Amino acid sequence: MAAPQSVAMPRPRRSRLGEALARMKRNRIGFVLCALGPVLALFALIRIYPIAETIRLSFFDYHITRRRTPFVGLQNYLYLFEDSAFHDALRNTIVFSVLAVITTLLIALAVAILLRSIEKAAPTFELLFYIPVVTPWVPASVIWKWIYDPTHGPINYFLSFFGVPRLGWLLDPVLIVLALVVVSVWKLVGYFVVIYGVGLRAIPEEVLEAASLDGCNAWQKLCHIVLPLLRPIILFTVVTCTIICFNVFAPVYVLTASSQGAPAYDLKVLVGEIYANGFVYYHMGYAGAQCVVLLLFVMSLLVVQFLAFREK
Amino acid sequence: MKRRTVLAGGVSLALVGLASAARAAGDPMSGKLSIWLGYGETGPAFRLALPAFKEMYPNVQVEILSFDLHEYEAKLSVAVPTGNGPDLLTLHDYIFPHYYENDMLDDVPADLAKIVNDPKIVEPVFAKIASREGKPWGVPWWKGSRALFYNTAHFKDAGLPGPPKTMQEMWNYAEKLTKKNPDGTIQRAGITLRKTEGSGGLQKFGDHYYATTGVQILEAGPKPGTIRVTLKDNLDAAAQLLMDYVAHLHGPKKVDDWSLKADAAGFANGAASMLMREDWVVAYVRKNGPDIKFATAPTPRGKAWGNFNFVEILSVNKMSKMKKPAWDFIRLLQEQKYLDSVLQDSGWVPLRLDRNFSAFLNKNPEYKAFLEPYPGYVSYIEPPNTAYVECTTRTGDVILASYRDASLLNNPDGAKRAIMRAHDAAVGILQKAGIYAP
Repeated sequence: MAAPQSVAMPRPRRSRLGEALARMKRNRIGFVLCALGPVLALFALIRIYPIAETIRLSFFDYHITRRRTPFVGLQNYLYLFEDSAFHDALRNTIVFSVLAVITTLLIALAVAILLRSIEKAAPTFELLFYIPVVTPWVPASVIWKWIYDPTHGPINYFLSFFGVPRLGWLLDPVLIVLALVVVSVWKLVGYFVVIYGVGLRAIPEEVLEAASLDGCNAWQKLCHIVLPLLRPIILFTVVTCTIICFNVFAPVYVLTASSQGAPAYDLKVLVGEIYANGFVYYHMGYAGAQCVVLLLFVMSLLVVQFLAFREK
Repeated sequence: MKRRTVLAGGVSLALVGLASAARAAGDPMSGKLSIWLGYGETGPAFRLALPAFKEMYPNVQVEILSFDLHEYEAKLSVAVPTGNGPDLLTLHDYIFPHYYENDMLDDVPADLAKIVNDPKIVEPVFAKIASREGKPWGVPWWKGSRALFYNTAHFKDAGLPGPPKTMQEMWNYAEKLTKKNPDGTIQRAGITLRKTEGSGGLQKFGDHYYATTGVQILEAGPKPGTIRVTLKDNLDAAAQLLMDYVAHLHGPKKVDDWSLKADAAGFANGAASMLMREDWVVAYVRKNGPDIKFATAPTPRGKAWGNFNFVEILSVNKMSKMKKPAWDFIRLLQEQKYLDSVLQDSGWVPLRLDRNFSAFLNKNPEYKAFLEPYPGYVSYIEPPNTAYVECTTRTGDVILASYRDASLLNNPDGAKRAIMRAHDAAVGILQKAGIYAP
């Protein structure tokens, strides 16, 4: 019996591109590199390279209008210890960030919890809270500059009913920090209301009902069920809000600008100092050193926050 | 066939390209002339000159861009050193040294240099600021100076005959003009003192310091480009001036407060009776306080009598490919009608002594203190200083912080310590910049 002859079937002709793709699929690393390569290259170019260049420049006396850029080693970093304006900026930024992060997140959480009790109307309120988030910082700050006006501003007018004397909100070194916190909370709270709202909706209703059946009151449910289950969301919000607050600049710049013939108190914040040193005094190298310090400071804070909120 | 068509297309394109390149090379008067402004209010003068410029250079496009002053200075500082930036530079005197010291400015043509160096056309003090060792690097165009603004209605109500002529009168008048509420809080400031923003604060304190001592806080050192700080040499006078400020911001003689609407906004609002400020405030008050009746007067005198000026200088980028058109534009801007536009549209005072602005002054008497010459009234200007902004900002921060310190009331030792802190702040910055002269 003759063995059955295998008939050579005509193989479908693949295009070169198809073959290349097939080869790439077999070699997964190559495929991943080709797929992610352009994105990674772009990321390296517009994110990593500027950071690396800033770190490099921080070791040079790079004055923007001079041709010579001598290497100065750690001199820029050592000057940070002497520079009282930098110390003021660091202190103001920390005070502002602590107040703004805590106030924003507490208000956002409280509002999100309240909105959960009015499920049907919640989206409308979330939208209302979200309007300041989409309002750009500059027009928002211009509006607040008027609100804080000592003579015609509504805040002083309102406070006068309670016997509070006229306050120069933007002219006093303490009041201006509080004023800035209020503006930032107003601007940011809507974003975190939405984030907390999503987190709260993810908590199973049955868990809360079971707790009610076991006799838990609202406070106990909040402390022992809601907050522990929200832990990853809280970590995200704390990290995000901290980064936003440490980078505060636009509202300070607009609120204190003198373009309207009324310069306010010159509140120093870290990013403002970096801008001033880089683009007003032309000390790019020193501004680079301040950037590196800001980067390290915020990253250390984030590590602490991650450790504090990690799942036990 | 296909290949032949592609080849033909390529050749035609190359020919067109070569032809246009040759045309551009043969006609150097085509292209774009770029002008950036940090004082947008002077833009109308540039635009007014465009038709005349177009007649000279029909193929040159002119691009005029205006920015906020600080943004402008930042953009310029990044663009010009890299061989970019505008062709025609409008430079404030305090950033000017950065550009000529680093060889970024074109040589001023002989005819314009002659104008700058002619004391009958440009006051020597302004020619000097645009020059290094006698060689001009630009053409001084307009100046900003300070004067005393006073509310004539408030003065009439208080029975005051006219503006204060001396520093002592200024403080006395301020006390008389101040309106207080029954609880002692101030309703209207007798004078709105500059209490915020270091650099501006130091400038206004510096006006009174000059009147008191006859020198500026920062004076030119013996070597060109170096700066000495005079606060230590005039410690008693500076401390007394600081105590005068503190006495009028705290205690029974108080004439101003941080909770009041301040500065130009306060004056335009009627919340202050006097203000020391620059020319632009005339237009600002007219716009924002149309009911305010006011006039201007020379700054009060002490031991010395003079007013601080800052200058806008026109120059050309050394890397520009449009140097000739740029210098011709600068020549045009020296003509009467464009200088009139600067004055009318911005309020800044053109520097040409050989031009006549009397018609403008007749229509706008509020500019009297800025336009009329007063015998013995000295115009002074900051010496060229590459660390000017940083030095005045940081030193001013120390002085302004001292205003808030009520413990300095009748406390000469405390005031001297505060002045020395300001002195040391200035010295430290100048030393770091390598331009300190002991």
